[in-house]
Amino acid sequence: MLEVKAVSKFFDDFAALSGANLTVPDGSIVAVIGPNGAGKTTLFNLITGQLKPDRGQIVFSGEEIQHLPPHTICHRGIARSFQIANVFPRLTVFENVQVSVLSHQGQSNRLFRPASSLLVRETTEILESVGLGRQGRRLAGTLSHGDQRTLEIAIALGSQPRLLILDEPTAGMSPEETAATLELIKRLARSRGLTILFCEHDMDIVFAIAQSIMVMQHGRTILQAPPDEVRQNRQVQEAYLGGVDA
Amino acid sequence: MALFIVVVLLLPIFAPSFYTYVFALVMVNGLLAMSLNLVLGYGGLYQFHHGVFYGIGAYAIALILTKSPVPWWLAFIAAPIIAALFGLVIGWICIRSTQLYFGMLQISLGSLVWIITSRWYDFTGGDNGINNIPMPSFLTSGKEIYYFILAVLAISIAVMYRVVKSPFGATLQAIRDNPQRCEAIGVNVRHHQLIAIVIASFFAGVAGVLYVGLERSVFPDMLFWVLSLEVFVMCLLGGWFTFAGPLVGAGIIVILRTFVSIYTEYWTMIEGIILILLIFFLPQGVVGFALGRVGRKAQAAEETVQVSERGAKV
Amino acid sequence: MAFGQDLVGAVTSQLLVGLSRAMILFVVSAGLSFVLGVLRVPNIAHGSLYMIGAFAAFTITALFGQALPGFWLALILAPLAVAVVGLILERALLSHLYQREHLMLILFTFGIMLILNDLVKIGWGAEYRSIVPPDNLTGSLTIGDLPLPRYNLFLLIVGPIVAVAMWLFVNRTRIGKISRAAAVDREMVGVLGINVSWVFAAAFVIGCFLAGLGGALIAPTTSITLGMDRTVIMDTFLIVTIGGLGNIWGALIGSLIFGLTQSLGLLLWPQFAVVFPYAAVVLVLLARPKGLLRSVW
Repeated sequence: MLEVKAVSKFFDDFAALSGANLTVPDGSIVAVIGPNGAGKTTLFNLITGQLKPDRGQIVFSGEEIQHLPPHTICHRGIARSFQIANVFPRLTVFENVQVSVLSHQGQSNRLFRPASSLLVRETTEILESVGLGRQGRRLAGTLSHGDQRTLEIAIALGSQPRLLILDEPTAGMSPEETAATLELIKRLARSRGLTILFCEHDMDIVFAIAQSIMVMQHGRTILQAPPDEVRQNRQVQEAYLGGVDA
Repeated sequence: MALFIVVVLLLPIFAPSFYTYVFALVMVNGLLAMSLNLVLGYGGLYQFHHGVFYGIGAYAIALILTKSPVPWWLAFIAAPIIAALFGLVIGWICIRSTQLYFGMLQISLGSLVWIITSRWYDFTGGDNGINNIPMPSFLTSGKEIYYFILAVLAISIAVMYRVVKSPFGATLQAIRDNPQRCEAIGVNVRHHQLIAIVIASFFAGVAGVLYVGLERSVFPDMLFWVLSLEVFVMCLLGGWFTFAGPLVGAGIIVILRTFVSIYTEYWTMIEGIILILLIFFLPQGVVGFALGRVGRKAQAAEETVQVSERGAKV
Repeated sequence: MAFGQDLVGAVTSQLLVGLSRAMILFVVSAGLSFVLGVLRVPNIAHGSLYMIGAFAAFTITALFGQALPGFWLALILAPLAVAVVGLILERALLSHLYQREHLMLILFTFGIMLILNDLVKIGWGAEYRSIVPPDNLTGSLTIGDLPLPRYNLFLLIVGPIVAVAMWLFVNRTRIGKISRAAAVDREMVGVLGINVSWVFAAAFVIGCFLAGLGGALIAPTTSITLGMDRTVIMDTFLIVTIGGLGNIWGALIGSLIFGLTQSLGLLLWPQFAVVFPYAAVVLVLLARPKGLLRSVW
């Protein structure tokens, strides 16, 4: 479904990515791991169009997307959450998701129809599916950190993606919230047939849900393989246990 | 509220014409401030030179009425559209940048319009502006123009309210809160901001037309950056996260300016002091503050209801 | 042939006028740009401080005599007086707002502008004032056939001195280096254990000093009056924008573009001479929306 081929990205002289490769098959859950500064977030920003690669191709559903702007990439079927809680703080929880649904349905530019009556069913359905059904009228900025992260996933779901990208979905969460998020991700993958690409520091989570793991270091792909193989791999052990820059 | 509406409707009948005039001025400035707030409060854009579109609307109708045979009603429609076209061009250039650069770019483009207007004596009258602009016969007395302004303001407010509450408005507020996130949910942020600027400059143009109706003259200072910042202050004073706030802010500023100026020539100092007090003590604005209090009370009431319900269950 | 010589003469004298105007604009916009770079605040009151500098120069020359030492004292004391005003404003008010939204800081400086405007009106009145520079700076120097006004030549010396002084300050002094670091990365300076608040104060005061110096320098060439703040702040804003926000060398290039397009435009199309700089600004920004040189942030 998604294929990242030898992608590089430079910031001035610094190579944030140099030859990263990634394959995300349809319907799978793929994790990207690597020490801080390995280039995971940069990779995600390239896939969703926030950044443009200096070299390489990104192919989604058989089509090169590396030159497209973020909003077009979203309409092709890729949605994402961000590393830091990234919601619309002055809108209500309901509106946060509704804006996303409106955008997906191509109704963002409608000028004279009250938004409050539009796509209520679709929005409510998403909020309930992530467990925020009762918080709809609160301002998003007043939610707890964990709920804001969940809301982020709900916003991403609003664009009915085929591929959902999650940047450290459990960062900063309590153990209970982490467990709940883990269940949520599994459930979403099952019930909506979503393909999921995520990165995560917590190795327990990675090995619990990922079907394929891509390991990065210094902006390079070391390998991509099923979890068991990754666990056995010497190079990965060195990268993590050798403490080069972890 | 109902009483206030009655007063506004009947004002020209019982009040001296000076008060009618001041209140008409409040409405013109209020419309200008509300149009700015579409992009400032709802859109989060640093629209530093909104006054340009107001001035362009005013100059457009003044020039059409004094220099062309175009009928008056067409002029009234054309002028805001011309302002909106300028909004399209200036906005299109500015949205390539964000925040402070957006604002500075707008000031430079606006300054170009201002300096050309103030120098082009043959066409715009230069520093002298244009005076004695002829008005259609049904808009000659103070009373008539008052009701005309009131009607146009009411229609404009209704339209702007619908825009704010529409999917477009909701998306615009989402862009204000978080443009990057908005791109990632498939919103073409710049396109959206540009439409907002065009709508806002259209209504600024309407305000400019109303000003000409009231004063029958235009002058280059309407395009100068100081006026734009004063409109900014009106929005802040009323509260830029509220819909009606800028109207209230404009009312306070215009009324204070009118009556304080009778007693002292140092109105700008008083305006500056008000602004600094606002920044330090009331950054959410008058209406924002009032709504906040009402909201807290409502919340407190809701909580007590919940508590008593629980109490009943126990 | 005579026509050709006239043209050369006209161009040369307009060049000199443009360059000397650019030098004053540079002094003022360097201050604005420095404050913008370090504090990230476009100080709208900067023009008012420039106006106060001009009025202060008037008062000082009036007190100490038009010729010597009045004018030279004014060149030193007027900027210092403005710097003191700046220090008071920064410590008493602005320093409490650094945690607030950016727009609030900008509007705060607008409020200060409104207040200073009326304070100047109260202090100096609404009349036009003027001062005469000392004898050795009046009149013209004749080179070849061309009379070159001495005061303009003097400005051509002052501008580069200020540029070099700013460069030395930012690159060679400790506080200058810290303020440059603060412009690029505020948190890092905080981590170094430096009190960022005082760095901001120093930067603001230096900015005010330059505004006052610009005001004192322009005083002998123009009538000093209320309202002189409004056009200079707009012009210097645009200069700083086309130069690259916070970049001092950008301010120099922007000033040259601004000063020269206006004075040479006078030869081309007198009625619209003042339009040329604004048109030049728009052209520059169309080509490079972020300014000619790299912005510091």
